[in-house]
Amino acid sequence: MASLISCPHCGVRPREEFTIRGDASLTRPAADAGGDAWYEYIYLRDNPRGRHKEYWHHSSGCRRWLIVERDTVTHAVHTVCDAALAKLGGAA
Amino acid sequence: MSERPEHKPALAGKATTEGSGIRLEPLPEGHLLHVMGAFDGDTLAESLTAAGLAKSAIQRAGYQQWYVTGDEILPPAQIALLADHLRGKGFVCDQSHGRIRIALSGFRALELLSQGTAVDLDPAAFPVGHSAVTLFGHISVQLTRTHATRFEFAALRSFAENLYDMLEHAALASA
Repeated sequence: MASLISCPHCGVRPREEFTIRGDASLTRPAADAGGDAWYEYIYLRDNPRGRHKEYWHHSSGCRRWLIVERDTVTHAVHTVCDAALAKLGGAA
Repeated sequence: MSERPEHKPALAGKATTEGSGIRLEPLPEGHLLHVMGAFDGDTLAESLTAAGLAKSAIQRAGYQQWYVTGDEILPPAQIALLADHLRGKGFVCDQSHGRIRIALSGFRALELLSQGTAVDLDPAAFPVGHSAVTLFGHISVQLTRTHATRFEFAALRSFAENLYDMLEHAALASA
Protein backbone atom coordinates (compact mmCIF):
# COMPACT_ATOMS: atom_id res chain seq x y z
CA MET A 1 0.00 0.00 0.00
CA ALA A 2 1.26 3.44 -0.89
CA SER A 3 2.33 5.43 2.16
CA LEU A 4 0.79 8.70 0.99
CA ILE A 5 -2.83 9.51 0.14
CA SER A 6 -3.75 12.83 -1.41
CA CYS A 7 -6.90 13.96 0.42
CA PRO A 8 -9.03 16.33 -1.71
CA HIS A 9 -9.58 18.55 1.36
CA CYS A 10 -6.24 18.34 3.22
CA GLY A 11 -3.57 17.59 0.60
CA VAL A 12 -0.94 14.87 0.77
CA ARG A 13 -0.98 13.01 4.09
CA PRO A 14 0.57 9.79 5.42
CA ARG A 15 -1.72 6.78 5.46
CA GLU A 16 -1.44 6.57 9.27
CA GLU A 17 -4.02 9.37 9.35
CA PHE A 18 -6.54 7.20 7.48
CA THR A 19 -8.69 4.18 8.33
CA ILE A 20 -9.70 1.70 5.64
CA ARG A 21 -13.23 0.35 5.35
CA GLY A 22 -12.95 -1.76 2.21
CA ASP A 23 -14.40 -2.32 -1.26
CA ALA A 24 -16.28 0.73 -2.58
CA SER A 25 -17.99 -1.12 -5.42
CA LEU A 26 -20.39 -3.19 -3.28
CA THR A 27 -24.08 -2.49 -3.69
CA ARG A 28 -26.36 -3.05 -0.74
CA PRO A 29 -29.05 -5.64 -1.63
CA ALA A 30 -32.76 -4.90 -1.25
CA ALA A 31 -34.15 -5.66 2.20
CA ASP A 32 -36.02 -8.73 0.85
CA ALA A 33 -33.19 -9.95 -1.42
CA GLY A 34 -32.83 -13.25 0.39
CA GLY A 35 -30.16 -14.93 2.50
CA ASP A 36 -27.68 -15.70 -0.25
CA ALA A 37 -27.48 -12.11 -1.52
CA TRP A 38 -27.04 -10.77 2.01
CA TYR A 39 -24.47 -13.43 2.89
CA GLU A 40 -22.46 -12.42 -0.17
CA TYR A 41 -22.76 -8.69 0.61
CA ILE A 42 -21.67 -9.07 4.21
CA TYR A 43 -19.04 -11.83 4.13
CA LEU A 44 -17.69 -12.56 0.66
CA ARG A 45 -14.93 -10.39 -0.75
CA ASP A 46 -12.80 -10.57 -3.89
CA ASN A 47 -9.05 -10.25 -3.64
CA PRO A 48 -8.50 -8.16 -6.77
CA ARG A 49 -5.22 -7.76 -8.63
CA GLY A 50 -4.74 -4.34 -10.16
CA ARG A 51 -6.92 -1.26 -9.88
CA HIS A 52 -9.35 -1.33 -6.97
CA LYS A 53 -11.69 1.24 -5.41
CA GLU A 54 -11.92 1.38 -1.63
CA TYR A 55 -13.53 3.52 1.06
CA TRP A 56 -11.01 5.25 3.33
CA HIS A 57 -11.86 7.53 6.24
CA HIS A 58 -9.57 10.49 6.94
CA SER A 59 -10.05 9.81 10.63
CA SER A 60 -7.16 11.96 11.90
CA GLY A 61 -7.70 14.76 9.42
CA CYS A 62 -10.87 16.23 7.94
CA ARG A 63 -12.93 13.17 9.03
CA ARG A 64 -14.43 12.79 5.55
CA TRP A 65 -15.07 9.48 3.79
CA LEU A 66 -13.03 9.17 0.62
CA ILE A 67 -13.01 6.80 -2.35
CA VAL A 68 -9.41 5.86 -3.11
CA GLU A 69 -8.63 4.11 -6.39
CA ARG A 70 -5.35 2.27 -5.99
CA ASP A 71 -3.39 -0.48 -7.65
CA THR A 72 -2.90 -3.56 -5.49
CA VAL A 73 0.15 -4.61 -7.55
CA THR A 74 2.12 -1.39 -7.98
CA HIS A 75 0.76 0.36 -4.83
CA ALA A 76 0.12 3.49 -6.91
CA VAL A 77 -2.82 5.66 -5.85
CA HIS A 78 -4.66 6.79 -8.98
CA THR A 79 -7.58 8.92 -7.86
CA VAL A 80 -9.01 10.11 -4.55
CA CYS A 81 -12.42 11.76 -4.24
CA ASP A 82 -14.85 12.65 -1.49
CA ALA A 83 -17.37 9.79 -1.20
CA ALA A 84 -20.36 11.89 -0.14
CA LEU A 85 -19.78 14.57 -2.79
CA ALA A 86 -19.26 11.91 -5.46
CA LYS A 87 -22.60 10.34 -4.49
CA LEU A 88 -24.28 13.74 -4.79
CA GLY A 89 -22.76 14.15 -8.22
CA GLY A 90 -20.49 17.03 -7.24
CA ALA A 91 -16.75 17.28 -7.62
CA ALA A 92 -14.60 17.05 -4.52
CA MET B 1 -17.03 19.81 49.03
CA SER B 2 -19.17 21.45 46.39
CA GLU B 3 -21.83 19.34 44.68
CA ARG B 4 -20.96 20.85 41.33
CA PRO B 5 -17.65 20.04 39.64
CA GLU B 6 -15.25 22.95 39.59
CA HIS B 7 -13.58 23.98 36.36
CA LYS B 8 -9.85 23.35 36.56
CA PRO B 9 -7.61 24.30 33.63
CA ALA B 10 -6.14 21.16 32.03
CA LEU B 11 -2.63 22.61 31.95
CA ALA B 12 -2.87 24.49 35.25
CA GLY B 13 0.36 23.05 36.62
CA LYS B 14 2.38 23.74 33.49
CA ALA B 15 4.79 26.64 33.26
CA THR B 16 6.04 28.22 30.06
CA THR B 17 9.09 26.36 28.79
CA GLU B 18 11.87 28.28 27.13
CA GLY B 19 14.91 26.81 25.45
CA SER B 20 17.30 28.20 22.92
CA GLY B 21 15.17 29.21 19.95
CA ILE B 22 12.04 27.58 21.34
CA ARG B 23 9.17 28.66 23.56
CA LEU B 24 6.25 26.49 24.65
CA GLU B 25 3.29 27.96 26.52
CA PRO B 26 -0.19 26.83 27.50
CA LEU B 27 -2.75 29.35 26.19
CA PRO B 28 -5.67 30.66 28.28
CA GLU B 29 -8.79 28.50 28.19
CA GLY B 30 -10.84 31.20 26.48
CA HIS B 31 -13.22 30.14 23.77
CA LEU B 32 -13.17 27.55 21.02
CA LEU B 33 -16.33 27.27 18.94
CA HIS B 34 -16.83 24.51 16.38
CA VAL B 35 -18.74 25.93 13.40
CA MET B 36 -20.19 23.75 10.63
CA GLY B 37 -22.05 24.98 7.57
CA ALA B 38 -22.28 25.22 3.79
CA PHE B 39 -20.58 28.62 3.45
CA ASP B 40 -17.05 29.95 3.09
CA GLY B 41 -14.61 31.51 5.55
CA ASP B 42 -15.51 35.07 4.46
CA THR B 43 -19.19 34.57 5.32
CA LEU B 44 -18.14 33.24 8.71
CA ALA B 45 -15.88 36.27 9.28
CA GLU B 46 -18.83 38.58 8.52
CA SER B 47 -21.05 36.71 10.99
CA LEU B 48 -18.31 36.91 13.64
CA THR B 49 -18.04 40.68 13.19
CA ALA B 50 -21.83 40.98 13.42
CA ALA B 51 -21.79 38.97 16.66
CA GLY B 52 -19.01 41.13 18.16
CA LEU B 53 -16.34 38.44 17.74
CA ALA B 54 -14.19 40.20 15.14
CA LYS B 55 -11.06 39.62 17.22
CA SER B 56 -11.46 35.84 17.31
CA ALA B 57 -9.30 33.74 15.01
CA ILE B 58 -10.81 31.47 12.36
CA GLN B 59 -9.14 28.13 11.69
CA ARG B 60 -10.29 25.72 9.00
CA ALA B 61 -10.98 22.32 10.52
CA GLY B 62 -11.91 20.22 7.50
CA TYR B 63 -14.55 20.43 4.79
CA GLN B 64 -17.14 23.10 5.75
CA GLN B 65 -15.91 23.12 9.36
CA TRP B 66 -14.06 25.79 11.33
CA TYR B 67 -12.80 26.53 14.82
CA VAL B 68 -13.28 30.06 16.15
CA THR B 69 -10.76 30.69 18.92
CA GLY B 70 -9.70 33.45 21.28
CA ASP B 71 -8.37 34.13 24.79
CA GLU B 72 -11.59 35.57 26.26
CA ILE B 73 -14.27 33.48 27.95
CA LEU B 74 -17.53 34.14 26.10
CA PRO B 75 -20.89 34.53 27.83
CA PRO B 76 -23.50 32.06 26.52
CA ALA B 77 -25.52 35.00 25.15
CA GLN B 78 -22.74 35.94 22.74
CA ILE B 79 -22.44 32.39 21.45
CA ALA B 80 -26.23 32.39 20.99
CA LEU B 81 -25.90 35.64 19.03
CA LEU B 82 -23.44 34.01 16.62
CA ALA B 83 -25.74 31.00 16.30
CA ASP B 84 -28.58 33.42 15.43
CA HIS B 85 -26.49 35.03 12.68
CA LEU B 86 -25.74 31.61 11.18
CA ARG B 87 -29.27 30.25 11.57
CA GLY B 88 -30.45 28.42 8.45
CA LYS B 89 -26.89 28.23 7.10
CA GLY B 90 -24.78 26.61 9.79
CA PHE B 91 -24.37 25.45 13.36
CA VAL B 92 -22.23 26.49 16.32
CA CYS B 93 -21.07 24.05 18.98
CA ASP B 94 -19.20 25.45 21.99
CA GLN B 95 -16.09 23.30 22.55
CA SER B 96 -14.30 25.68 24.91
CA HIS B 97 -14.36 23.01 27.62
CA GLY B 98 -13.28 20.25 25.25
CA ARG B 99 -10.17 21.50 23.50
CA ILE B 100 -7.01 23.05 24.89
CA ARG B 101 -4.68 25.38 23.02
CA ILE B 102 -0.89 25.36 23.24
CA ALA B 103 1.50 27.79 21.54
CA LEU B 104 4.92 26.87 20.20
CA SER B 105 7.24 29.59 18.92
CA GLY B 106 10.85 30.35 18.11
CA PHE B 107 13.10 29.80 15.14
CA ARG B 108 13.48 26.11 16.03
CA ALA B 109 9.72 25.47 16.33
CA LEU B 110 9.59 24.15 12.78
CA GLU B 111 12.32 21.61 13.50
CA LEU B 112 10.44 20.34 16.57
CA LEU B 113 7.14 20.12 14.70
CA SER B 114 8.71 18.10 11.90
CA GLN B 115 9.49 15.38 14.47
CA GLY B 116 5.81 14.79 15.14
CA THR B 117 3.73 15.65 12.11
CA ALA B 118 3.89 14.80 8.41
CA VAL B 119 2.21 18.01 7.23
CA ASP B 120 4.35 20.05 4.85
CA LEU B 121 5.19 23.15 6.95
CA ASP B 122 7.16 24.99 4.29
CA PRO B 123 5.95 28.63 4.31
CA ALA B 124 4.93 28.26 0.65
CA ALA B 125 2.62 25.31 1.43
CA PHE B 126 1.66 26.31 4.98
CA PRO B 127 1.59 30.14 5.15
CA VAL B 128 0.59 32.31 8.14
CA GLY B 129 -3.08 31.76 8.92
CA HIS B 130 -3.08 28.28 7.42
CA SER B 131 -4.47 25.47 9.54
CA ALA B 132 -4.55 21.66 9.34
CA VAL B 133 -6.09 18.81 11.29
CA THR B 134 -3.40 16.17 11.61
CA LEU B 135 -1.60 13.80 13.95
CA PHE B 136 1.24 14.88 16.24
CA GLY B 137 2.72 11.54 17.20
CA HIS B 138 -0.46 9.58 17.94
CA ILE B 139 -2.49 12.58 19.11
CA SER B 140 -5.03 14.24 16.84
CA VAL B 141 -4.42 18.01 16.75
CA GLN B 142 -5.43 21.15 14.95
CA LEU B 143 -2.19 22.88 13.93
CA THR B 144 -2.20 26.57 12.89
CA ARG B 145 0.59 28.90 11.85
CA THR B 146 -0.09 32.26 13.53
CA HIS B 147 3.23 33.94 12.63
CA ALA B 148 6.27 32.92 10.58
CA THR B 149 7.79 31.11 13.57
CA ARG B 150 4.75 30.69 15.84
CA PHE B 151 2.30 27.80 15.81
CA GLU B 152 -0.79 26.95 17.80
CA PHE B 153 -2.06 23.51 18.73
CA ALA B 154 -5.64 22.67 19.71
CA ALA B 155 -5.97 19.20 21.17
CA LEU B 156 -8.71 17.31 23.00
CA ARG B 157 -8.67 18.21 26.69
CA SER B 158 -7.83 14.70 27.91
CA PHE B 159 -4.82 14.55 25.59
CA ALA B 160 -3.54 18.07 26.34
CA GLU B 161 -1.26 17.16 29.25
CA ASN B 162 0.26 14.26 27.35
CA LEU B 163 0.82 16.44 24.27
CA TYR B 164 2.33 19.20 26.40
CA ASP B 165 4.72 16.75 28.11
CA MET B 166 5.73 15.37 24.73
CA LEU B 167 6.41 18.86 23.32
CA GLU B 168 8.23 19.91 26.50
CA HIS B 169 10.43 16.84 26.37
CA ALA B 170 11.24 17.44 22.71
CA ALA B 171 11.91 21.16 23.32
CA LEU B 172 14.30 20.50 26.20
CA ALA B 173 15.99 17.56 24.47
CA SER B 174 16.89 19.70 21.49
CA ALA B 175 17.88 22.74 23.57
